[in-house]
Amino acid sequence: MSKETPVLTAQRRERFGTRYARRLRESGRLPAVIYGHGADPVAVSLDAKETITTLKHGVHVLNVVVEGGKAETCLVKDLQFGFLGDDVVHVDLARVDLDEVVTVKVRLNFFGQPESARKPGAVLVHAVNDVEVSCKVREIPSDIKVDISNMEDDFVASQIKLPAGLTLVTPPNTMVCHVEIVKEEVVVAPEAAVAEAAAEPEVLTARKDKEGEEGAAAKDAKPGKEAKEG
Amino acid sequence: MSLLPKRVKYRKQQRGKLRGNATRGNYVAFGDFGLQSLEPHWVSGKQLEAGRIAAQHFLRRQGKLYIRVFPDKPISKKPLETRMGTGKADVEYWAARVKPGTILFEIAGVPQELAKQAFARIAHKMPVRCRFVERRLAV
Repeated sequence: MSKETPVLTAQRRERFGTRYARRLRESGRLPAVIYGHGADPVAVSLDAKETITTLKHGVHVLNVVVEGGKAETCLVKDLQFGFLGDDVVHVDLARVDLDEVVTVKVRLNFFGQPESARKPGAVLVHAVNDVEVSCKVREIPSDIKVDISNMEDDFVASQIKLPAGLTLVTPPNTMVCHVEIVKEEVVVAPEAAVAEAAAEPEVLTARKDKEGEEGAAAKDAKPGKEAKEG
Repeated sequence: MSLLPKRVKYRKQQRGKLRGNATRGNYVAFGDFGLQSLEPHWVSGKQLEAGRIAAQHFLRRQGKLYIRVFPDKPISKKPLETRMGTGKADVEYWAARVKPGTILFEIAGVPQELAKQAFARIAHKMPVRCRFVERRLAV
């Protein structure tokens, strides 16, 4: 880990369910659960603002002190989001040892401007913003710095220079970023636009013309008759 | 030209209802910033196309614009002053079903301020209230 492990204080949750969780969130707390290592899962609540600020810094490992207990090293395993898909409503924390090997997603911090992205209409598209790596818990970085100043048109996962102790889990041929040329928009003539607008999609179950149907029916009927006769 | 499918199984569909919030397509997946719907609505292909043109004219070949919804629902409409009955009307337009939380557009490769300005232009063309969103927290 690049910095010291942040310490968060947690309170035990005595009451469970949607209503109590909602009340907790309204009072500035964030419901969470701590599990793993054979011990019983503990439902806790954390300070919402402090936890989210910590997570925004790319922190994966937290020291959680449950009231009246000792600090536990926990890995942020999962986040649950609210109905609009962006506010964190619940955190899953897994107990870990600092020397345990885990697989985590680490965000990529791109720097440098590639030559190919300076062309007119060229756009640098980041297809992937994080990669999965396997490493010891104490070695999980908050982010991986990726120099893309010398890249050609494509940059794949295997080209990332990982810090010592990290192994790439993401498939090595995964496209991380690439330069795309945005084409100039072709102005469609009004007549052509009207013709295109009148276009209708092909209907797969549309009725065929009568002749076609009869012909098909006759073909279907023949083998049956022959079979009966035989 | 407005968006519409190339091939469909059936010509017409029942109207259906837009219940609840989006549980899919509700986070920024491809770009860096997104425009998120806050209301349920049928967004027509024409409206999406208007939004795309507004953004692309503003961006002028900077950044990449993604349209995250597709108008695959045929909406039929009876002509004006027509008596009821005599079967279902012809298809008038194609619409995308948009629920609260659906990401409508995404932009990659531009600074945040520019993306906000482009999305403001798109939002004017949309029949729903929208908001600007960024990539969500990942662990």
